[in-house]
Amino acid sequence: MTTMRGIVLAALLVWAVLTPSFLSMPSLTALLTTASVIGCMAAGMTFITIGGNVMSFALGATAAASAFLFTALLNASGFAAAFAGSLVFGGLVTGIQGLVIGSLRANPIIISIAANILIYGAASWLTGNETIYAASTGTSQLLGGTIGGVPIEFLIFLAIITLGQTILSFTVFGRNLLLIGSGWTTAEATGLPIARTVFLSYVWAGVFAAISGVLLAIRYNQGNMALAVQYDYDAIAAVLVGGTPIQGGDGSMIRTLVGVLAISVIQVVLLLHGFEEEWRHLVTGLLVLLVVILYSGQRI
Amino acid sequence: MLSIVSSPSIRPYLLLAIVILLLAAVDFGHGRFLSLGTAYSALQSFSTFGLVALGLGLVMLIGEFDLSVAGVFGLAGCIALLTGPDHFWVGMLCAVGTGAAFGFGQGLLIVLLDLGSVPITLGGLLTATGIAYVITHNRAISSDNLDLAMTLNDPVVGLFSLRSLVALGIFVVAAAIFATTRLGRDLIATGSDRKAAIIAGVSVKKLLLGAFAFSGFMAAMGGAMLSYGLASATPSGLADVLVPAAAAAILGGVSLAGGSGTPLGIVAGILTLTVLRSGLNAVAAPPFAHDLATGLILFAVAVFDAPYLWRRWAALHIHFVYYQDK
Repeated sequence: MTTMRGIVLAALLVWAVLTPSFLSMPSLTALLTTASVIGCMAAGMTFITIGGNVMSFALGATAAASAFLFTALLNASGFAAAFAGSLVFGGLVTGIQGLVIGSLRANPIIISIAANILIYGAASWLTGNETIYAASTGTSQLLGGTIGGVPIEFLIFLAIITLGQTILSFTVFGRNLLLIGSGWTTAEATGLPIARTVFLSYVWAGVFAAISGVLLAIRYNQGNMALAVQYDYDAIAAVLVGGTPIQGGDGSMIRTLVGVLAISVIQVVLLLHGFEEEWRHLVTGLLVLLVVILYSGQRI
Repeated sequence: MLSIVSSPSIRPYLLLAIVILLLAAVDFGHGRFLSLGTAYSALQSFSTFGLVALGLGLVMLIGEFDLSVAGVFGLAGCIALLTGPDHFWVGMLCAVGTGAAFGFGQGLLIVLLDLGSVPITLGGLLTATGIAYVITHNRAISSDNLDLAMTLNDPVVGLFSLRSLVALGIFVVAAAIFATTRLGRDLIATGSDRKAAIIAGVSVKKLLLGAFAFSGFMAAMGGAMLSYGLASATPSGLADVLVPAAAAAILGGVSLAGGSGTPLGIVAGILTLTVLRSGLNAVAAPPFAHDLATGLILFAVAVFDAPYLWRRWAALHIHFVYYQDK
């Protein structure tokens, strides 16, 4: 499977590089910035999927609310407070869901659907569905720039992937999460701290989703609840295309990075070949189907 | 008492009754809630979400999930208005045919390759949405056939509309089939214990195929009817149906683990949501009140159904008693 994945990726890369104007600056920059926002959320989703809790329907809502909170705090008390505040918010809101799922074994899909409704409801109560604009854009403008031609947003995404992979590979929490994902009953019999681990995995998922919200707020210089709608689906698509199995217990952040990049490269290449923007969803959908079918029968 | 509340065959109706009683109490003496208008509007949203919830509910009943309903719903609306802007039956037939075929195709992949329904229908959701974007060229479609839209939505005896009558009719047929034929039992058996069902002679593969085709069919019918009723369609879908449809099925006593739920329970589940929506509108509650109430109810149901809830409760209790004795 690994060789086959390598061949497919190599073919994809060759196809991309051979596409005229793929390597030009604007198309690459656009590709990397878009990939970064989805990517941070996909990294968060990876924690949930690996832990055996399939996916969350509430990360998009969390990202939008974080973007709103970030912009509001940015106007009120500056960048540092805004950044910290929105991350804490994301971790808290998603962590509560993890608490219920981990300690009571409540159904993760229902909990995340309920959280989705509650976040949008509470946001429309508190914000009146308004858009809030960033008053001063000093620090955030910096984050929207590039270093040596590479968008800073993409560097943040890479940092998130590195952080996530480090957590998964080199912490007790990360190892426990993989074990819990591959079998709750066994993990329980072994005496692993299930409730705490699942709770933490949701906290991380929420923090990463909040970062993708912050990236959105920086890019658009505003916060509103219409940002990040449907991003949950793009995020889980990236996780699956990367090769993390939906049943959990296996997977990595590197795979999610590969999934995010593969989807984005294909979309940009198709765009450059003259397919309009509307083909984006169709291609992603077919890609997810293809990957799921290809991986069938193999417990990777 | 607890066994009554947690019993999936009673709770949906209990929830619905509580919602109606609470709203009636809030509105006492104003006559805004218990009116034909509120009932009419509750039934209108019933016809939008109900069919989707029925299809999704039956898929959940056999222990699978269908994320693609939202995509098929939007796609069917676009297909209906593209193929038959002036010919209701042509558009309807194309839409539900596509929906059923789409669902069947997904079922085929799941059965033949022995795959999980979440990843396949996630791909299906994105693919159906993608097809809708491509065939509409990323634009909203509108139809000039406003007469048809009026006919579909005009109140019948003040309470119903053609749209809600069709939806109710389908539910009556589904409930009758479910209660009187072997099909209902086979569905429950498959959802409860698939291996046991196979040994008992249930053709599980056919049931899976049928359930996914039915779910696609129902989602498409709901989407096409809504688009004809509004005389417009967009590729992104006119309504986010997945969340309310899943919420309705769950409130209606369908368990995500499979094996429990009935069409009548789903009716109660959808009515709980739509009565809540129309009722809160009628008593002039702010628009977010409905979301907050729905979210809280759904959260409560999930916590209440959590397998470890009572275990944790008992542990807490022992802990408390132990320290008191000391």
